[in-house]
Amino acid sequence: MDSSKKTINVKVNGEPYEVSIKPKMTLLQLLRNELGLTGTKQACMDNSCGACTVIVNKMAVKACSVLAMQVNGKEVTTVEGLASKDGKLSILQEAFLEHSAFQCGFCSPGKLMSSTAMLEELENPTEEDIRRDMEGNLCRCTGYVQYLEAIKEVVRQRKEGSK
Amino acid sequence: MKDFEYFSASSLQEACSLISQYKDVGKVLAGGQSLITLLRQKLISPTCLIDIKGLKELDFIEFDKKSGLRIGALTTHRAIEKSPLIQEKYNVLSEMEKSVASVQTRNWGTIGGNLCSADPIGDPAPSLIALGAKIKLVSAKGERAVALEEFFTDYFTTIIEPDEILAEIQLPPPAANTAVEYMKFATIEAGIKIVSTSVAVTVEAGSDVCKDAKIVMSAVAPIPLITKKAAEMLKGKKLTDDLIEEAAKMAASETDPTTDVHASAEYRKEIVKVLVKRAIKKAFEKAKKA
Amino acid sequence: MNERSVVGKPLPRVDGKAKLTGRAKFTTDVVLPGMLHAKLLRSPLPHAKIRSIDTSKAEKLPGVMAVITGKDTWGIRYGFVDTPNYPAEERPIAEDKVRFIGETVAAVAAIDPDTAEDALDLIEVDYDPLPPIFDPEEAMKDGAPQIHGEITRNTSCAWEDWGVARKSHSYTPVNNVAARVLVTYGDVEKGFAEADYIREDRSRSPGTSHMAMEPHTMVASWDPFEQKLDVWMNHMAWELKRYWLHKTLDIPLPKIRIHKTYIGGAFGGKAPCFDYEVICAFLSRKLCKPIKIELTREEVFSSCRNSHRFDISIKTGVKKDGTIVAQHCNVIVDAGAYKCSAPVAMFLSHGMCDCCLDRKNVRHEGVAVYTNKNFNFARRGHGAPQMRLAADGQYDQICEDLGLDPVEFLTKNLRKKGDVIPNGDRLDSYGLPEAIKKSAEAIKWKEKRGKQRDKNRGVGIGINGMFSGSGYWPFACTAIIRLNHDGTITLIEGDCEFGQGPDTTYSQIAAEALGLTIEDVTLVSSDSELCPMNYSNFLSGGMFVGGGAVYNAAIDLREKLLKVASEVMRAKPEDIELKDKKAFLKSNPKRAYTFTEIQRYHIQKHLGDPLFGIGYKKAVPEIEFYPSLSKGTGRFTDAYGFTASTAEVEVDRETGRIRVLKIVVAEDSGYEINTAVCRGQLVSQAVQGMSDALFEEIMDDEGRVLNPNLVDYEIPRAFDVPEIEIIDCSDFEPKGPWGAKEIGECARAAVISAVVNAVYDATGVRVMRIPVTPERMFNALKAQEKK
Ligand SMILES: Cc1cc2nc3c(=O)[nH]c(=O)nc-3n(C[C@H](O)[C@H](O)[C@H](O)COP(=O)(O)OP(=O)(O)OC[C@H]3O[C@@H](n4cnc5c(N)ncnc54)[C@H](O)[C@@H]3O)c2cc1C
Repeated sequence: MDSSKKTINVKVNGEPYEVSIKPKMTLLQLLRNELGLTGTKQACMDNSCGACTVIVNKMAVKACSVLAMQVNGKEVTTVEGLASKDGKLSILQEAFLEHSAFQCGFCSPGKLMSSTAMLEELENPTEEDIRRDMEGNLCRCTGYVQYLEAIKEVVRQRKEGSK
Repeated sequence: MKDFEYFSASSLQEACSLISQYKDVGKVLAGGQSLITLLRQKLISPTCLIDIKGLKELDFIEFDKKSGLRIGALTTHRAIEKSPLIQEKYNVLSEMEKSVASVQTRNWGTIGGNLCSADPIGDPAPSLIALGAKIKLVSAKGERAVALEEFFTDYFTTIIEPDEILAEIQLPPPAANTAVEYMKFATIEAGIKIVSTSVAVTVEAGSDVCKDAKIVMSAVAPIPLITKKAAEMLKGKKLTDDLIEEAAKMAASETDPTTDVHASAEYRKEIVKVLVKRAIKKAFEKAKKA
Repeated sequence: MNERSVVGKPLPRVDGKAKLTGRAKFTTDVVLPGMLHAKLLRSPLPHAKIRSIDTSKAEKLPGVMAVITGKDTWGIRYGFVDTPNYPAEERPIAEDKVRFIGETVAAVAAIDPDTAEDALDLIEVDYDPLPPIFDPEEAMKDGAPQIHGEITRNTSCAWEDWGVARKSHSYTPVNNVAARVLVTYGDVEKGFAEADYIREDRSRSPGTSHMAMEPHTMVASWDPFEQKLDVWMNHMAWELKRYWLHKTLDIPLPKIRIHKTYIGGAFGGKAPCFDYEVICAFLSRKLCKPIKIELTREEVFSSCRNSHRFDISIKTGVKKDGTIVAQHCNVIVDAGAYKCSAPVAMFLSHGMCDCCLDRKNVRHEGVAVYTNKNFNFARRGHGAPQMRLAADGQYDQICEDLGLDPVEFLTKNLRKKGDVIPNGDRLDSYGLPEAIKKSAEAIKWKEKRGKQRDKNRGVGIGINGMFSGSGYWPFACTAIIRLNHDGTITLIEGDCEFGQGPDTTYSQIAAEALGLTIEDVTLVSSDSELCPMNYSNFLSGGMFVGGGAVYNAAIDLREKLLKVASEVMRAKPEDIELKDKKAFLKSNPKRAYTFTEIQRYHIQKHLGDPLFGIGYKKAVPEIEFYPSLSKGTGRFTDAYGFTASTAEVEVDRETGRIRVLKIVVAEDSGYEINTAVCRGQLVSQAVQGMSDALFEEIMDDEGRVLNPNLVDYEIPRAFDVPEIEIIDCSDFEPKGPWGAKEIGECARAAVISAVVNAVYDATGVRVMRIPVTPERMFNALKAQEKK
């Protein structure tokens, strides 16, 4: 074993992993290069676009700016972990599909993770909450409108469901 | 990115001893929201990182009626934004935090890391200074407390010694008849701030007279700037629109901004006039009700 | 085929599940066994001779597999415009001279990206600085530093394959002029003489970034046994990319395979040939290893194509009632260090705009100028946004001067449906009048225009027209549809999916024609080895040309099915309908044969013919080759898309900050095949147009980009998006698939003008240099106060 490497344990999408990595490896590199989870994207390399957003212990974070060492012992969810294994989309993914909330699809995984985290945190987010929590996700194709609608639709459905 | 050695400290004490051991080649890593980009761009290349992010003992928000508020340096921006305690007693902090970077950065980045970055456009410092913050620095040799306004020395530099760690931020209890208002100006909503300011106004109870005032700004000088002359103009006076306007002009004359891709120095000064005026007015209105 | 059940609906996109679960493969996700990574050394100087390059230290670094410089690729040339008059002058690696900061001077292939990057630091380049020139107007003056010497036709010439065979010749640019255009019709002098009122104005649109989310990336893998190159890359039309790789590296065309990947956004910015692409393939062939090049965001800004800066002066003569009688435009295009599409851009700034209004007597002069800066390419509208800003801003001011209403002014000068415009294009569909009317109503034009200045609010209008493909190169597509044994189909066509939605809309087009559902369509697309010819995805030709080919293929198969069915059923084809994988009698739906049965019958009766549909389409059938870029003669396109946009803004007079309250986009895109996809295209352009008007500009200091990242180059985020209303004003386009034409590019330009004109209405101050940043607005307001 390379002596400069360190071992970490991390749960990704429910699966436990033990990996030996160089300390400089980012969470994004861990996911994409070591675990082959390429759904999480890299687009800016300076912590500004949100394409690499994943959920760590219920919080949305940008995987490009978190060292893999820092998720040792933690739970990570990526876009690959949203749908069920037998092919059922999450409610939010379903809403994104119905509302044409994506175009090129490169930033969509990040947006899905941010909005998934938000909807877990906030029961009934307002328009303002939604926009503010999505500020960290840049999109060039959609102009945001259809994907904000998709999120609002999920909130509406949840409200109706709880009645 | 260059390779580095990595240590994860399990206690503040261990962190202090590691950093005193590696102080010439090492760097403290908190949330890494600023640090990792610097490493990637090779703007700095320490050979060793001491990770303190996991230190629970520096992750807290505690309030005491007499001594006030203590925020551990590893408290995330998001925790401050969402803290019911802070929303109730130091609302300006949670309002200000809403404008810091993005949710993702606020979830992982820490208040200590923000202050230690000493970015002249950083948002928290002006509000904390306006609230009268002190900070606690610790090292293997001991600890010291300094007023936050003494902390910054130049662009991206502070008085912190290479073997010191910022441990906590302390705020006095909320003052009576006082309000602090944060205001920012950027081209897009979550854009780089061209100017931001925090203004504290204390009024004589039941009157329009300003008892005390503090005006702090970012992005207009190498460090968070306290425009003392402008604040002096307000003290002991009835706050009329004219006076506020004059004070805001004075504040602008005290700034020393630079030109960059977001705005020219001259324009920044113009914005200071508007922003400070609006912030004083708002703080004043709120202080009267406080 | 009257009732439409698949087209005209907001069906979920067929690429959705892949894209929303992280399984969609983008180039950046491609990993091959033994793959190496390459990084490029970029010039730090804007203009310099290269005396020598020492790569020895870099070569010795462990993990480095190859270092190449201009010596290795000497003589290779390519370019977007590559004609006898303007032979290509781009090169993969600078040879003896660098012409902009960011130009590639060497490349390293290594075992990982970090090692490659470390090796770059070890390469020593000895430069001899030359005086640089950055401003196009300065660059045209006598005595300015000359950026190019003689340009000689070399490895690549598109013309010899696709154009009229004509001898190509070398040329030496004089005063840094890369190309000129002069289009005239009518009698401009006479027109101005008849005018009651004449205005002259200047405007500037800056260089901007396409800012596609996926940074430019390519993977190339050379198979030394088959002598074949496998490629995964960012592109907008593999046919073009394959062609350039073939020409620059002298690899036989069928020995290059470009595989399908999803493309993470493009907006024009991934269409031309790039240095890193040639280098990636070159290194792979040299090392017989797969190579990946992923550019950084900074490289995308500083070394990949951006949009052109345009400086335009425009002079318009009108009658008292607002009738335009003459117009003279002078367009200066900042080409940057290589001309790329600059000759096209300044032509298109006329070509796309001529379809909207009847200006009667026109003179359009353009010059593209070399400067020591990164060079440029089309971005969503390619020349139209810059020209529309100049024109629509001036019309707005003319109305102010003469007391006319801008909506009435535009309406008065409209062309008419069925008009043949001066170059010969006929406006078979022309929804612009309706779009102007509806967009004005939606913003409450009558109630608001000129009436809200006390509230610092205002409304404005802008318009635009856009080709649905053009006669450039072959600009033709073919599609093939296979009838499967179970009655479903496999659609094989070449378009690539970069977000605009062809995988979905083309499937809908085919399904509709055959009475199938979209689930019955299996798609093979965007693979150079599996798909037939595809040149469509630029100049907004995707739907009209690519979709047109699919439509024709589907109709071909439909007619075949009907013919066979009529044999089987002993009925007339026109009495038969296709639905649910069956052919049945309209009069008696119970009398039905499944597609499976029909196919079985046909194979047995007709020597095994299994029923295929084949369709093809050419953008402009009537023209043999290109329209003339330099004179603007000849047909441009077969159908135009149109937009009118209105906007309402509020200006903070104390700070100059502008807030957009609402944007209306009324669009004639022809029939909307997928209404949700169409809406997405228009919302997208509303937000991009607003951003162009207010935020975006690539800033440079002495040729160095100052904001090459997403922190400093600000684009709108969720909070910045105003209320957006989309109005479908589509006019059925008889030549388009199901009546469809163009939707991807037209609206952006109209929105820019609408926002800028609304700012005037709100303040009485006209800023004709975009973006109208808070600071620019503030300074303009201050200047107004002084007056
Ligand atoms: C895209 C982007 C946008 C941003 N926008 C804003 C904004 O709008 N407003 C704003 O105010 N900030 C902004 N920031 C800055 C952000 O708030 C800081 O990056 C973050 O707070 C830093 O915290 P961290 O814990 O991640 O620090 P790190 O990145 O881990 O550390 C930063 C520096 O502080 C040192 N350090 C950290 N903690 C300590 C400690 N306890 N004791 C001693 N030294 C320490 C580190 O050695 C390092 O030098 C932005 C950052 C990014 C990347």
